[in-house]
Amino acid sequence: MTRALAEAHSERAGAPHAAGAPLARRRRRIDLLPYALVAPFALFVVLLAIVPAAWTIGLSFFHDAALDPPVRFAGFQNFITAFSSSSILQSSGNTVVYMVVGVVLSTIIGTAAALLLQTSFRGRSVVIAVLILPWALPGIVAGLIWVNVFDANTGLLNSVLTSLHVITDYRVWVGDNRLLTVFLIELVQVWQMVPLSALLILAALQNVPDELYEAARLDGCSGWALIRRISVPLARPGIAIAAVQSVVATLNIFDQPYALNGQADAGASLTMQTYFVSFQNLDFGQGYALALVIAVATVIVSFGVLKLVYRQVEY
Amino acid sequence: MKLFATAARRRRGVLALGLAAGLVAVASGCSNSAAVSDKTSGVTINVVESAEAPPKAMLDQFTKQTGITVKWTNVDWDSLQTKITAAATAKTYFADVTDVDWSRVGQFAKLGWFYDMSDYVDVDKLKADLPQLNSFTADGKVVGLPGDAMFMVTTVNTKMFAEAGITKMPTTIDEYTQDLKTVKAKGVVQYPLNIPFAAAEGLSTYWYETTGAFGGSVLTDKDEPAFTSPDSAGYKAAEWMIQAVKDGLVSPGEINTTDSQGQQNLMATGKVASTFSDYAGNVGTLYNVKDTSTVTGQVKYIPTPTSGGEPKNLDNPDGMGIPVTAKYPKAAAKFIEWYTSAAVQEKFAGLGSADQLYSTFSLPAHLTAVEALANGDKLDQGATLKQMFQNSTAPIFPGGAPTWYSSLSKAVYTNLHAAAAGSETADQAIKKIASTAKQLASGS
Repeated sequence: MTRALAEAHSERAGAPHAAGAPLARRRRRIDLLPYALVAPFALFVVLLAIVPAAWTIGLSFFHDAALDPPVRFAGFQNFITAFSSSSILQSSGNTVVYMVVGVVLSTIIGTAAALLLQTSFRGRSVVIAVLILPWALPGIVAGLIWVNVFDANTGLLNSVLTSLHVITDYRVWVGDNRLLTVFLIELVQVWQMVPLSALLILAALQNVPDELYEAARLDGCSGWALIRRISVPLARPGIAIAAVQSVVATLNIFDQPYALNGQADAGASLTMQTYFVSFQNLDFGQGYALALVIAVATVIVSFGVLKLVYRQVEY
Repeated sequence: MKLFATAARRRRGVLALGLAAGLVAVASGCSNSAAVSDKTSGVTINVVESAEAPPKAMLDQFTKQTGITVKWTNVDWDSLQTKITAAATAKTYFADVTDVDWSRVGQFAKLGWFYDMSDYVDVDKLKADLPQLNSFTADGKVVGLPGDAMFMVTTVNTKMFAEAGITKMPTTIDEYTQDLKTVKAKGVVQYPLNIPFAAAEGLSTYWYETTGAFGGSVLTDKDEPAFTSPDSAGYKAAEWMIQAVKDGLVSPGEINTTDSQGQQNLMATGKVASTFSDYAGNVGTLYNVKDTSTVTGQVKYIPTPTSGGEPKNLDNPDGMGIPVTAKYPKAAAKFIEWYTSAAVQEKFAGLGSADQLYSTFSLPAHLTAVEALANGDKLDQGATLKQMFQNSTAPIFPGGAPTWYSSLSKAVYTNLHAAAAGSETADQAIKKIASTAKQLASGS
């Protein structure tokens, strides 16, 4: 019995079956179990991610418009046509602002929140639970909530600011000034992203051994110096992941500008333009091209952020 | 040894299971065509609309009559349009009956995404009683049947006008504008005019209606822009709308107001005195409903003020059609025929029993049904609505919406929105819209 178990174990572990077995037989024996277990997931990844990605890359070089068949090779024409549109250029600019503001703010606020949550205080778990709520909301719901805050006729912001005599007349917050519009829309997204950023950074902070803090305190380090010299440097892997998820979210922003500013160019993102081009104009080729641009930009910026922020940490 | 053999068998079993799961995944992922059935009884059809389901009593009645069960799904309008496109492009089943918006009729007809209703229903017989049928016809195909009679009307809060000393309702644009200025000057309300300047379809529709009031249309018979000259109706309409913002007749905050809830709430809560391009039926379904309105009994429809010509009320109906990917097209056709019939719509609108009342239903698509409601005193200002429906309604695009309508509309609402926000002038907005329209019309 014991021997049989050992045989089975060695078989599963891929170890040579018996010391005296011929070499050729040992080479032929491949353990299929791990492959079988991974196969369904791998198949899903291939079908739902790799195949569509390859399809998108390929078709972005084809003219594929439902109203103008047939599908035909177009080289870089989809990219040229897309980026000669003033709406798409403006949306590209908006998207860059969304990304810069969103990544910087969510990372800074997320780090600050994580540092606060690292200290133990009464009701900490309740604060963490409440903090997660905005993140749990779908983007469109968050957008609709903030519509009621920014509404120029009946919004909460105008009401509060006039009550406090900060402003005398109700103002138009979203849609009037392009930069302010983009900034306020991004604030809504930051409000949603901060919880995840904070939790990712908090997880990294909790890995930092207490001994390091104790040693630093013995050396006379305290307060801000502890944060600057111990917490933040050692939380860099978490900060990097948080920053990358912010890059992905901001470069693909859709719900918040759509809910807060409709389809106006002043706040539209590149993802929104992809949707309009594909599903309103039915020009799928151009849609594929824009989607590819967003994907490539996401990958490049994510790698850049990783290179800038990530550092391997060993305790 | 026995255990070793069992482990090997188990391994093979797991492997087989993995492969089977993979095959199932492949099969389910790739399978996108459903078998089409001619059955018209004992089937369940999926109706996907951007509206609440009709009363259960009515659907039960339909099932009893035909043996067809209806599963109704309410999806918001934008998502539904995406679903229609995605399903048609992927040739995938998603509904047996769904929404056909007038603005997409040209696209649907050209792309062959919907069955021709004239293959199932005698449309010639219906023409006289369904004034808006033209809005669903393109390239000789009837893509859908009108599910209601939505058309644009001017609504006025007569109490506010009276407070400003106005008792005679305006008939021309000049009189209308002057009256709004008077309402503002007398301090009755700060911003008397409602224009939904949010960058959305409703803004385009408002401009089309205003263009009609200025005595023209947006496109020529050849689908070329008819609004480029400063003398044209479309140009004047855009200028009038933007000037209304500059003159303080429209709240600057309306650049985020949509034509649906936003615009209607402002009217229903007495924050504005008039909506130039409102929806027929809103007085009965919203403004006179105590739960949703603070201005009950105050809002009236008036004949659309014009620049001198006859009043015109542009059609804006939603219809029902059968996607070519439907599983039960014949059963679907039976449902559409039933739903759009005058007898059923009269009951929806209030001529039946209480459990047959469809509270969010606006106006029947049939003239005879509107007449019956007006005669039966079941329609607020029924006589006025019936008169407009019969005499002054007209399609936005007499030849049907062009296939590239979505791109045109986006150019309209993004540029008029930008002009209202002050980042463009009305002239710049019109030039940009015209440039897009010319490009689209030329096919380049």
